[in-house]
Amino acid sequence: MASRLIQVGPNEAENEIELSLRQTFEFLGPNLRPPFSLAIPKPDEYLQLNRAILYGVLCEPHFAKTHIKHLHAIVTDGYAFFVTLLVKIIHELYPKLVHSAKIQLIWVTKQMTDVLAIGFDALLVSLLRQIVGGDFSDANLWLCFELAGLFLDKWNCILEGEPLVLSSALYAYLRLLADHCRLSSNVMLEELKRSEIDLCVKIMKEEFHLCLKIGRDLIRLLQDLVHIPEFRAIWKDLVINPSQFNYPGFSDISQLYCLRTSSKYILLRITPEMESQLRFLLTHVKLGHQKRHQMWFSRKFLCGPDRETLIVDIVRFICCAHHPPNEIIQSDVLPRWAVIGWLLKSCRINYIEANVKLSLFYDWLFFDERVDSVMNIEPAMLLMVHSIHRYTDMTHTLLEFLLLLLDHYDMNRKDIILKGVSSSFRVLVEKGVIHSLDVLTSCTVLAPVLKEGLRKLLLSVK
Amino acid sequence: MLLLKDIVPAAQNNIDTKFILLEKGRVTTEGQNKTCLALVADETAAVHFQLWGDECDAFETGDIINLTSGIFSYQRNSLVLRAGKRGKVEKVGEFTMAYVETPNMSEIRWIPDPNNSKKYIQDSVISLHSRIFPPMP
Repeated sequence: MASRLIQVGPNEAENEIELSLRQTFEFLGPNLRPPFSLAIPKPDEYLQLNRAILYGVLCEPHFAKTHIKHLHAIVTDGYAFFVTLLVKIIHELYPKLVHSAKIQLIWVTKQMTDVLAIGFDALLVSLLRQIVGGDFSDANLWLCFELAGLFLDKWNCILEGEPLVLSSALYAYLRLLADHCRLSSNVMLEELKRSEIDLCVKIMKEEFHLCLKIGRDLIRLLQDLVHIPEFRAIWKDLVINPSQFNYPGFSDISQLYCLRTSSKYILLRITPEMESQLRFLLTHVKLGHQKRHQMWFSRKFLCGPDRETLIVDIVRFICCAHHPPNEIIQSDVLPRWAVIGWLLKSCRINYIEANVKLSLFYDWLFFDERVDSVMNIEPAMLLMVHSIHRYTDMTHTLLEFLLLLLDHYDMNRKDIILKGVSSSFRVLVEKGVIHSLDVLTSCTVLAPVLKEGLRKLLLSVK
Repeated sequence: MLLLKDIVPAAQNNIDTKFILLEKGRVTTEGQNKTCLALVADETAAVHFQLWGDECDAFETGDIINLTSGIFSYQRNSLVLRAGKRGKVEKVGEFTMAYVETPNMSEIRWIPDPNNSKKYIQDSVISLHSRIFPPMP
């Protein structure tokens, strides 16, 4: 008897994906046990068999090996359909899966990696996205641990088949480590941290060219880890001794600054469920009517002692990965800057608030209109401008932070940052995001020292 | 499936609709059974919904709920939507549904249709918003 795939509450509707898989599995029942038919299945039978085998692997752990042998025997598409189904299940059902099905999912992912199944990299990415930031529950740490182990154990396969997925693993684990290293530890967490550090260090030392693909956010994440000896050493090399990485053409950390980070990395720290709720908020909810949806969002994702750290990733997501079309921008839908303002105000811990502001301004620091999008820097500008009258503190704290970054973010490369920030202001005006900077420089409620700082900054590049 | 703006009071289980749960009132006990008044809404209207028995704990605000064969009728002078004995409520999702809080179908005065005494038609609006669950400031 197969177990259930997901947990369903007493008043919850049957899930259609599960239902269709289960029905296929039950319908094909006897065909899923040896001796297997030697006949070549017709195309639609092939797809049905894939569905049934998948359900069997996840829900009948004691027959999993038989099912996978069956799959190996019939496969004609490089496992592409099977892997697509797995990705779909992870995307839509992972949080609801019963634990035994999660264990099976990791097992079958290893099998798919071994055979270099078509799309196994997407499979690994979809699992990485299910690790919830700031969640220290056993189930979540278990997933971190299993995946880190998988990347280390299957290193050679991955390097041979889809090496680029290692850069995704690096992004995810550098970010997770920042949380894991901050918490007072226990034995399980110690072991997890060890394996996460080993994985990240191995990728950075052995496959540095893959790390470069991440772009500037790699630096943002590494900065949070310099208190860990292994990363302090890597950091020193990056700043002082880039030739250590043995990668021809890499001679200065600023080369990373110039590379805009693709949103595919940013999405790694946002679960699909969070993504769909955030996108809904920013496409369907009207400004002035957002309170309940915001409340529900925080209840689900931000409640709990260590969850606040997630706000850093959400703000990065909103700036880099959610760019609404003009129809939305011109409508009465809740704008991105308003959501970011709300998130910033929900920060209670100072260092997290600072990290949130850094993630809001990060693309300003290195902005180059040839590679960067004005949409990445727009929310910070609009948040400053729209807060001036009702929430002057917000404008103050943001502008102050920006000026602080200018002087202190990278003392040896101030010219780069100055160029980035001043280009940001210029492009924001040119593209009509704001009509003129007078709205800040001539604003009567803004502190004179900030206005002076801003004026100096704008003059210095003219 | 009906939109909430189109529901009309009637003494039959004839309403299939979908809405999002906005607010729950206090759970009270009526005889052997728990009940709980709630505010629910879709993109077109809001209405008071009565949760009954286990339903009171099974749903939380933000849940998207499917109602099949529900009934919209008077209970002690107030107009509520509920599943009733023959209807069914099921959670089908959460969060991703837009809503309005006005009109509230429970805050409308209905009168018998002069052309068909078995039917109700809208007479006047008693209150734009729910008087039990006032809109959030």
